[in-house]
Amino acid sequence: MALLAPAYLWLTLAVFLPLAVMLFFSFLHAAPFGHRPLILTLEQYRAFLQRPYLLDVAWRSISLALWTTGLCAAIGLPAAVALARATRGRSRQVLFLLIVLPFWTNGLVRIFSWTMVLREGGILDLALHAVLPSAPHFALLYSYPAIVIGLTHAYLPYMILTCYLSVSAIDDALIEAAQSMGARVPVIFAKIVLPLSLPGLMSGAILIFVPVIGCFMEPRILGGRVGVTMGTVIEDQFTQAFNWPLGAALSFIMLAVVLVIFGLTSRAVTTGPTAPLRA
Amino acid sequence: MTVKISRRGLTTLVGSGLALSFAPHVGHAATTEITVLNWKGYGTDEPTALRAFAAATGIVVKHDYFNSEPEMLTKLQTNPGAYDVVLINSARTQQAQSAELIAPIDLAALPNAKDLAPTLKNSPSLQAGGKTYGVSWVWGMNSLAVRDGKVVGADSFTIFLDPKYVGRLALLDDTATAIGIGALLTSQSINDPKDLPAIGAKLKAMKPNVKLLWSSEDEWNKAFAADAFDISVYWSGAAVRSKVRHKLPVDFIIPKEGAIGWLDGLSMPVASKKKDAALTFINFMIDPKFYLPWAAQAGAPASANQAAMAQLPDSDLSKQIHKPEYLTKLQFMGPMPDERRQAFANLWEEVKASYA
Amino acid sequence: MAQLGRAWLLAVVVFLYLPIAVMIVMAFNASPLYALPIQPSLIWFDTLASDTELLDATRNSLIIAMFTAVIATALGSLAAIALARHAFRGRSLLRLLLLPPIAIPWLITGTAMLVFFFWTGIGRGLHAMLIGHVALAIPYVVIVIGTGLETLRADLDEAAMGLGSTPLHAFFAITLPLLAPSIIAAALFAFAVSLDQFVVSYFLAEPGVTTLPVEIYSSIRKGFTPEINAISTIFLGVSTLLVLLFARLSNLGGARGRR
Repeated sequence: MALLAPAYLWLTLAVFLPLAVMLFFSFLHAAPFGHRPLILTLEQYRAFLQRPYLLDVAWRSISLALWTTGLCAAIGLPAAVALARATRGRSRQVLFLLIVLPFWTNGLVRIFSWTMVLREGGILDLALHAVLPSAPHFALLYSYPAIVIGLTHAYLPYMILTCYLSVSAIDDALIEAAQSMGARVPVIFAKIVLPLSLPGLMSGAILIFVPVIGCFMEPRILGGRVGVTMGTVIEDQFTQAFNWPLGAALSFIMLAVVLVIFGLTSRAVTTGPTAPLRA
Repeated sequence: MTVKISRRGLTTLVGSGLALSFAPHVGHAATTEITVLNWKGYGTDEPTALRAFAAATGIVVKHDYFNSEPEMLTKLQTNPGAYDVVLINSARTQQAQSAELIAPIDLAALPNAKDLAPTLKNSPSLQAGGKTYGVSWVWGMNSLAVRDGKVVGADSFTIFLDPKYVGRLALLDDTATAIGIGALLTSQSINDPKDLPAIGAKLKAMKPNVKLLWSSEDEWNKAFAADAFDISVYWSGAAVRSKVRHKLPVDFIIPKEGAIGWLDGLSMPVASKKKDAALTFINFMIDPKFYLPWAAQAGAPASANQAAMAQLPDSDLSKQIHKPEYLTKLQFMGPMPDERRQAFANLWEEVKASYA
Repeated sequence: MAQLGRAWLLAVVVFLYLPIAVMIVMAFNASPLYALPIQPSLIWFDTLASDTELLDATRNSLIIAMFTAVIATALGSLAAIALARHAFRGRSLLRLLLLPPIAIPWLITGTAMLVFFFWTGIGRGLHAMLIGHVALAIPYVVIVIGTGLETLRADLDEAAMGLGSTPLHAFFAITLPLLAPSIIAAALFAFAVSLDQFVVSYFLAEPGVTTLPVEIYSSIRKGFTPEINAISTIFLGVSTLLVLLFARLSNLGGARGRR
């Protein structure tokens, strides 16, 4: 179809073909530079078997992504609902803008600013001591929670935005009808708002879960020694080890896992009880 | 498209060549442009020096930067003809040479080469097949750096395992350095250790002390200033800069196990079309007239040029730290087969994962 | 209930702006090492004014981001509409193909693009960066507009056609206006993705011609000073004005009234 062609052609040229080259690299023994013979091998894909510590790292990345997506959903959906239903006109516009603006700050500067907030002797520590001088030091930097905070902060606007798109389209009549039949707020939320926000939640979840699995900046800067994820390991293959085949193989394994997870949840969503409700 | 730069440079060269031939009374040399590939802010892009160089020789120097050695090799590979001078650490010179990326250099063509310290000038890491592929430029050491006043009497890398410093250690996230320290602690060669598992065990044992891993001088400075750690591995030249320019209370120590030495060399890519200009630039880089202002204004690693080092004032911290006798006492990072480098990388990755 | 909602929103905003407030404040701190306590100073804005490299890089970022937003939104909208309208063979596959650009670490995609562009003669430069940015933004656009389409009631334009409208007219009169919030959101995403993109840009940048994120990323090695905070603060200020202007003109929050 002509509508699809431009976008997918662009993607093919700019992404799929280059990635196909990378896929080929992942079956090599060593990066194809110099006049080294090209040795085809499956050894990179056996990486998890040869390097069992990678399983821990992979699990850490997945749990990081789950935490971040979960927190973004827990914080973002209520915020989107509040934005769509509890605010009007000018104040809604202002709030909307405030939520979207952090997009326009550079990610690295933002992460670095978080170090100033979370570290020992940083903003939060100083604030705590101003109020309770004898409290123990607040040193959240270089820890797993710090990474989660940084990631949640970075990705929250995505979730709020996608949920807002769904929630703002919910017909007032539905809610009014439910209220007139005596339904209370939790019921309205569970039976009407939540199911109808599912598209927004799912899109937000994809746009957050997928990149977070491969992230490396937040773990590196906020995590200190605990900041080891699939993203940092893959990055190391390109910046320290010059082992492109291994880095590529790990990336494609990660992609496969993501596709499987997406495939499973997608089926659950389209065949689940909420399916008939959605247009 | 990829050879945009050299095409422009070529046009300039041809154009200026034509101009020269039609202007017999031209007063000074026509402009040539060369491109240097280096770390950002690492000497070759000092603005004052480049202006002086352009005025004296008519050669204008442009720069491209890299953030890691594999990246440097990738850039050389994917941009033939784009670069005329490239900085390559002596541990990687032979790797670049075997990938046919750099050209041999005749040291006799560089007047200042006679003052280079012999151990460095003739370092086997810079040679291949009887020819020299890198001009030794600057050297330094990776060693122990501690917080002055808080850490007293440190004289060994075993302090990294000392329970007194739990959570106060910052390690450098670099495979060669990490494995090297493990090697020094287990009395092995840093370039060819025979017992890798022992190194792995030593490094993993540091886990309780490790707070963070740093990978740039700036990161080190910011974290040290924020009191995040008290003991660390650090670069010698960087320690001088941190102390002198940022007034940070750091003590740089060569422990009894020894330290890891490194040597940076300037090489010439094979595909460069301006080899003469490149050699002129390299000669300028090893000239005391370049080194002394660089060291004074910005703080620099030790120069491979002995005459230059001798001309530094005795009060200069860099001169005091980079003692000439270290050149023969230190283990210098050297080349190694790809398989070994990969084994090191795997081990370090495993150690880092164990820290998490 | 509404009060609770507003309180929650306020808390979210505070959370979102905590590091940004720090970023702005640090732009006015004299210490190059970001040391506390704060010594108020305008020195970094001064340095910034004469730092043509950084200013050029910022300008490049903005230009590329704007082009990316326009192109990606246009291409992505078409694709999203095609994917949502009818079920056809291969639709699931096409949807799945949107994931690799955001799943694969940008480092891999960037390196792959570098090598591929080198082999095919596309090379490096602003044009290469634009190609890369649009490609990375398209999945976001398709997914966001897809969300909007899913939420849309398909029977509305069927109703319009039942009343005598042509499909094309129904599309322009009904679907498109209802999709407007999604399209705007998608454009915002595309703009943001391009603006913050440093990894792919880094690989595709020509020496001397870079973007702001690339400058910041490469400064990580050499050392970045609060000059970066200064430019980020100014950037934020300008973006605020632009978005305010845009919101004025397009009445973002008013979608609810149109049902």
